[in-house]
Amino acid sequence: MKRTILIASLLVLVLCVALTVFLGTRHPVGDATTVQSPLLGKIAPSVAGTELNGGHFDLHDDLGDIVVVDFWASWCGPCVAEAPNLSTFAWQERHDKVKVIGVVFDDSVSAAKAFQVHYGSLYPSIVDPNGDIANSYGVTSPPTTFIVDGQGRIAATLLGPASTAQLVTAVARVRR
Amino acid sequence: MTLIWIGRVALAVALAALVGGVVDQVVAIRKQRAGQGVWFALGALVGILGAVAAMEVALVSHNFSLAYVAQNNATFTPLLYSITGMWSALEGSLLLWSLLLTLVTLGVIYYYRREASDPVVAWASVVLFGVGAFFTYLLVVPASPFVHNPAHVLQGAGPNALLQNNPLVAVHPPLLYAGFVGFTVPFAFAIAMLVTGRVQDRWQLEQRRWTVLAWGALSLGIVLGAWWSYQVLGWGGFWGWDPVENAALLPWLTATAYIHSVIVQDRRGLFRVWNLSLAIATFSLTVLGTFFTRSGVLQSVHAFSSSTLGPLLIGFFFVCVGAGAGLLAWRGDRLRSAVGVDHPLSREGLFVANNVLFVGFAIVVLLGTVFPLLYQAVNGAQVTVGTPYFASIAAPLSVVLLALMAVAPLVSWRSANAGVLWARLRTSAWVALALVVALVAFGVRRPTVLVAYFLAAGAAGAALRTLRGVVVAAHRRGRLVSALRAPSTGGMVVHLGIVILALGIVTSTSYTTRAEVTLAHGQSTVVSGQYVSFAGFHEVKDALETSTELVVSVGGDQLRPAVTTYNGRNGQTVGTPAIDSNLLRDVYVTFDAVGGNGATSGAQVQNGLPAGSVVLGVTVEPLLAWLWIGGLIVGLGSALSFLRRRYNEETG
Repeated sequence: MKRTILIASLLVLVLCVALTVFLGTRHPVGDATTVQSPLLGKIAPSVAGTELNGGHFDLHDDLGDIVVVDFWASWCGPCVAEAPNLSTFAWQERHDKVKVIGVVFDDSVSAAKAFQVHYGSLYPSIVDPNGDIANSYGVTSPPTTFIVDGQGRIAATLLGPASTAQLVTAVARVRR
Repeated sequence: MTLIWIGRVALAVALAALVGGVVDQVVAIRKQRAGQGVWFALGALVGILGAVAAMEVALVSHNFSLAYVAQNNATFTPLLYSITGMWSALEGSLLLWSLLLTLVTLGVIYYYRREASDPVVAWASVVLFGVGAFFTYLLVVPASPFVHNPAHVLQGAGPNALLQNNPLVAVHPPLLYAGFVGFTVPFAFAIAMLVTGRVQDRWQLEQRRWTVLAWGALSLGIVLGAWWSYQVLGWGGFWGWDPVENAALLPWLTATAYIHSVIVQDRRGLFRVWNLSLAIATFSLTVLGTFFTRSGVLQSVHAFSSSTLGPLLIGFFFVCVGAGAGLLAWRGDRLRSAVGVDHPLSREGLFVANNVLFVGFAIVVLLGTVFPLLYQAVNGAQVTVGTPYFASIAAPLSVVLLALMAVAPLVSWRSANAGVLWARLRTSAWVALALVVALVAFGVRRPTVLVAYFLAAGAAGAALRTLRGVVVAAHRRGRLVSALRAPSTGGMVVHLGIVILALGIVTSTSYTTRAEVTLAHGQSTVVSGQYVSFAGFHEVKDALETSTELVVSVGGDQLRPAVTTYNGRNGQTVGTPAIDSNLLRDVYVTFDAVGGNGATSGAQVQNGLPAGSVVLGVTVEPLLAWLWIGGLIVGLGSALSFLRRRYNEETG
């Protein structure tokens, strides 16, 4: 009995040390960082497809507006944190010729729909079934956000979960 | 400025009193006399109360010279949300934690004041003071809520939008924290029993009462949290297996195992090591959960932003588990119990099954919560272990647990006699079968639902049968009121609450219908049997918020789903669902989209929809209200169980 308890306790201790060291060395998840993308200043690749709610979206139709293109997936943790910020931003800027469009890639349509409903997203999202749009933008991990100016050029790229303030600042810089 | 200094000094006083308490108790143990625990605990409470008062005064008077107030309050924040603002961010919520912990410490030390010279009580006091000192230290140095804000703030940022549109924010966090904090008591006594080597004593059984109190508070806290997220951010859901929810669920699972297996120790003297381990694990898991929610390493809808607390909390977790495991290894020889489980299908055998299920489930939830971090460390990519993983394990487990609830309360201790069991089980089995036949006749065909109803009826039958026995016995003694304090009353009321809750979960998740309808002004339609009509927009604009409401009627009742923007520096926008609820079904209406170019202002603008018409999300969820009713009954049952008589009181 004593031996069993001793071995079990030692095992628990070893597991606990491993867990402590592992968790203690994790870094907190921060805000998005602005990155220098090779696409900056270039004409944005096409973003078109069927929206999760059934409508159709084409980036080309929104020439003249600023479009925030956000690549996301329902399985991605930072996207969860980002979703309300995007909703807030979309709502604040809805009269100011700014449009927010989500692009779902590497995900199932039903999971993405559930995500949209669960977090009450206030912006539409289109499906990118083969990841073609993501490839053309060079997106490897969600969330990545591109800001497309009125001339259809990519003006800024944000990697990671964007905050509302970051989006507002980035769009204000594009307007100038 | 004055408030900042009052707060800082008060916290320093509290920390000094708590450290003093540790020293005093250790000296008292060495000199084999009683310490002055009550006075030190009182001193700590006065200190913490001073800090809480300073913070509340600052919040209610919108004193923006405190950085915390400037970030979590605004001139237009209503009184209720100014008060609850104390726990709407990291530092203040730790202050609430410390307040509850010092209250519990004082309560326990005062309750055992006549036994203060007993080394077990003294060592438990050392642990209580020590844990209190750790959390108060966090408030003094790394996460001080009393930081001066040099900037001149006119309006303040206001609390997070999700924390200011539902009064449940006033009760849910305090109850949840009361549960977490309450688990410090069984932990402290487990450590004390191991240090003194007096593991055979009655102290372990004594702890069940405190654990049940904490468990009840945590259960209510979790259910109210689910209710809140259902009303505010769930958009129809009530549980998302979010890391923060899991952090509350983990200690709940091990505590549930503990309050069951302590009964076996009480009646049969078995499972001593196991019970001590569960008490230590439960407290350690609350610390781990605190780490998950406050370090910012896991992404979650309601994690507090990153802070420097991570390493301190995980270090404290290590100290707790390390101390517990080390002491268990050292004292292993004294823990042997003389007898074992006689028959696997006896009452104690079924308690073992219960424990295996709860602890196994806790391990599964812990793995699912940590897995994304492990995966990211190995592969660099991010994954989320979502609802499918947790639900695929939770569903079959719940079925087995319901079956145990139907059988275990009727099984005898020590032996298993099929004849006796069947005699006790017969009535509820036939009623359950009749219920299933009736359900099939009404057109219910899903096997999971039928199985769940069958077992739930059985579980309710077992609980009612036990309660009837208690009432009959009390009646015979001529004191019917004494039935309320009988040993099994509280537990069986909790079982009934769980049965109602389980029926609510099974029915609502199996038969939810979700639909989106497009309605123009004045139009109406029928969705999933509900008559829904749209009567126009209603704009609300006041100091607190700007909101676009839709005037919708569901079967005659008016509902106002809305999209609301809260004023303040980082004015957040949230969709606010509207719910029409009765005992049979909930109708949940959301404002999904608006037609036209958005000039009428609406939610997500949808092209190709005529201006002025809206898209409504209509979700009908049967029996959802049963969840909240069941949760309240669980709370009531735990209160009864806290007040129950001891077995020796019964016989003596």
